[in-house]
Amino acid sequence: MAKAIGGIAGIFLKEATVLKAAARVRESGFVKFDAITPYPVHGMEEACGIKRSTIPYVAFAAGCTGLMAALALVWYTSVVDWPLNIGGKPMFSLPAFIPIMFELTVLFAALSSVVALFVHAGMPKVDPPVIDKDLTCHKFAIFIPENDVGYNADRVEKLLRELGADEVKKVAEY
Amino acid sequence: MGTHSSHQELKLNKFELSSTLKGILGAALLIGLATFIFGFVKNPDRMWPAYLTAFFYFASIASTGMFFVAFNHAANAGWSASIRRFAEAMSAFFPYMLGGGLLLFVGIKYLYAWGVPETYHTLTGGKQTYLAPGFVLARMIIFGLGSIFFAKKIVGNSLKQDTTGDHQLTKNNLSLSVGYIAFFAIFFSLFSIDLLMSLLPTWYSTIYGVYCFAAGLQATFAFLSIVIVVMKNSKWISGYVTEEHQHDVGKYLKGFSVFWAYIAFSQFMLIWYANIPEETEFYIMRSLNGWMPVSFALLIFRFIVPFLVLLPRGSKRTDSILVGISALVLVMHYVDIYWLVYPNFFDGIPQFGLWEVGMFLFFAAIFLGSMFQFMSKNNLVAIKDPRLHEALKHHVTY
Repeated sequence: MAKAIGGIAGIFLKEATVLKAAARVRESGFVKFDAITPYPVHGMEEACGIKRSTIPYVAFAAGCTGLMAALALVWYTSVVDWPLNIGGKPMFSLPAFIPIMFELTVLFAALSSVVALFVHAGMPKVDPPVIDKDLTCHKFAIFIPENDVGYNADRVEKLLRELGADEVKKVAEY
Repeated sequence: MGTHSSHQELKLNKFELSSTLKGILGAALLIGLATFIFGFVKNPDRMWPAYLTAFFYFASIASTGMFFVAFNHAANAGWSASIRRFAEAMSAFFPYMLGGGLLLFVGIKYLYAWGVPETYHTLTGGKQTYLAPGFVLARMIIFGLGSIFFAKKIVGNSLKQDTTGDHQLTKNNLSLSVGYIAFFAIFFSLFSIDLLMSLLPTWYSTIYGVYCFAAGLQATFAFLSIVIVVMKNSKWISGYVTEEHQHDVGKYLKGFSVFWAYIAFSQFMLIWYANIPEETEFYIMRSLNGWMPVSFALLIFRFIVPFLVLLPRGSKRTDSILVGISALVLVMHYVDIYWLVYPNFFDGIPQFGLWEVGMFLFFAAIFLGSMFQFMSKNNLVAIKDPRLHEALKHHVTY
């Protein structure tokens, strides 16, 4: 389990302010900071400099694996291990196999997307430290961990205040 | 990225067709008309299948274009408000769709078993009732008039809103759109069954209407993608249509490529598996006499290639790739309808020549001409739609 890391969080009351603040924090050279919002804020990825995740590639690779795995499965079961003559059709009848190949493609892609999402998001996080209870309701936060580049408690506090933080507090986060 | 932070200046000019394009359309119409008249007199056996194929091609695109408008209203979609007018413009073809359908009835004896008294009387199992020419004609007229009615209401409300800005019109359009979707589901299915499936009245497939719908909607998204890319880079409009809208229509195009393949395969696999003579004839006709390559071309170029090419995010946002794939899908939509119609004629041997090209040009000129006329008469964007701000801020996150 990941260890909680201390840092400073600024609590914001307006979406527009936190969006601008995130961009400014990024411009100030911080890289490990995080924005915490009760709902997805448009443009936050760009403001925080979050790159596109690798989940689509994981899904594609897993989908291809699923397709091949299904083909191997039906080939082994229907052609090699227990060949059955059904309606005089060839043992290796691709049209009959396609539904299974389709389903396993979807299953592999979907499940590995979920796994990739968990890995990316660092989940599961059991009982993480609470920065502010209202962050799931109507407040926004920017959290700068103490191990970030050029971290300096006074500087961070000043920066967050300048950016319009309603409240600045010392907290911990994963 | 990028487009979000740097908003383009909003500009909307009047749409005007260049005289070269007008000339091309006029020439296409003349060639088409000449083909029709010449074929009508000299070679009706050859002309009518070409007429039917081209007619159904544009009728399916126009009515699924209207379906796009309707489901966006029904879902209260905001992102599409700035591109909806292009799909609305396709409904300008509806009066010609009714006219073209009525004209088709002049040629039924060259096309359908139910169009000739001797073969009509050999039909069994209630098909004489269903395919009685008067009954088919009645359904066709209901489809044509109903489409015109809903287009007049839904598109009319949208156009009225351009001047009045009345939000109530958007609310009215929601219930009208639900009505159109129900109407479309029933009568477009019947339309495709009556015009295409009845070419082989001994064969039937319960999924046929959905197949034609899936094909039409995929082609509509391809056409819409091309219109959007052209408009995005044109002088008529700026800021309203962005890469983001292009991306989402590209996603629809990819999604409905899969949907088409899903429906096509669902129809094929059950018939292939059950292997009942009265059902397999449809696919047997399409695997002999040189039809096999056409059947495989559909699978490859209507599904596999568009799907794989449109899979990465970047390709939907690259004009040349999206337009290239859209053009491919539009060509394959013609091949698809050709594949549905032609095996029933000429002893099942593929025929392609100037007749097909001529009739295609005829309907293409009418379709594009009516659409361009609509676009030059009206605003290119529903400028007072209450959801327009959503469309302008529309942003696809990764």
